[in-house]
Amino acid sequence: MENVAKTLDAKGLACPMPVVRTKKAIEELSAGEILEVVVTDRGSIADIPVWAKNTGHEYLELVKEGDVLKHYVRKGGEQAPDKEESKLKTITNEEYLEIADKGPVTLIDVREPDEFAAGHAPGAKNIPLGQVEQRADEIPAEGDVYIMCRSGGRAGMACDTLGTLGRKNLIRVAPGMGDWDGPVES
Amino acid sequence: MKVAIIAANGGLFDAYKVFNIATAAAATDGEVEIFFTFEGLNLIHREGVKQLPMPEGKEHFAEGFANANVPSVEELVGMAQELGVKFIACQMTMDVMGLKKENFTDGTEVGGAVTFLGYAKDADITLTF
Repeated sequence: MENVAKTLDAKGLACPMPVVRTKKAIEELSAGEILEVVVTDRGSIADIPVWAKNTGHEYLELVKEGDVLKHYVRKGGEQAPDKEESKLKTITNEEYLEIADKGPVTLIDVREPDEFAAGHAPGAKNIPLGQVEQRADEIPAEGDVYIMCRSGGRAGMACDTLGTLGRKNLIRVAPGMGDWDGPVES
Repeated sequence: MKVAIIAANGGLFDAYKVFNIATAAAATDGEVEIFFTFEGLNLIHREGVKQLPMPEGKEHFAEGFANANVPSVEELVGMAQELGVKFIACQMTMDVMGLKKENFTDGTEVGGAVTFLGYAKDADITLTF
């Protein structure tokens, strides 16, 4: 995953140390930043997502590389406005629904496949954040492209990634599916 | 999340049960208090904590503990305190066993059953080990 602010190496440590170390490491980050937690404790597969949920952080994904498990967690809380972010064109869920009501739109949902499968906006195409760069050719370079996730964080990062590839037709829909009142497909 | 734990046994396995749950809860932003009573006082006793017994016949697990890279009980005690877990030693048991506050790890407070009940009465989770 790109944009990792800090990596915690907790390989070889047994429960409860991975969670204890993760808590300490995330305290050093700012809201919105991503922590990579590298462990070998298999109990962490269930524990870290639950930990994130109960501490107000956003669990992004688990990557398995042999016996090594990499968890990605985005720190919760108020996000400090940064320059990159403010350049982003963003509309609200409600504004998007009005636009989608008027005719066909291109919507990319950058959440993980399981989140997408559990429910997404009608017509959305799923390209998880980690695959956005390699699958950029599946995203039209012309015409408005709407990018969405759960809370707006990953959509912002997807826009940044595509922006570095020269795309200028991106519009983030925020907050996204975490606060969605529109129709849902699954 | 408010967690109230009674630690009433003094073996090595008991120590892991108590401190793993306590540190995991504290790391998950829980408020945690442990009431140490009877043999449970071993778990915070400065010398006792270094020689907590394995249950009889289970001594062979020592190798498993080493292989799994499980932290020592002393490390877990320090970790729990660092995360803000509060330790209460039972006054009555201390009197019976002739123990003093100085025998326990720094930061341990002394209280009676009512002290713990006052804390536990609105806890979300209450556990006894």
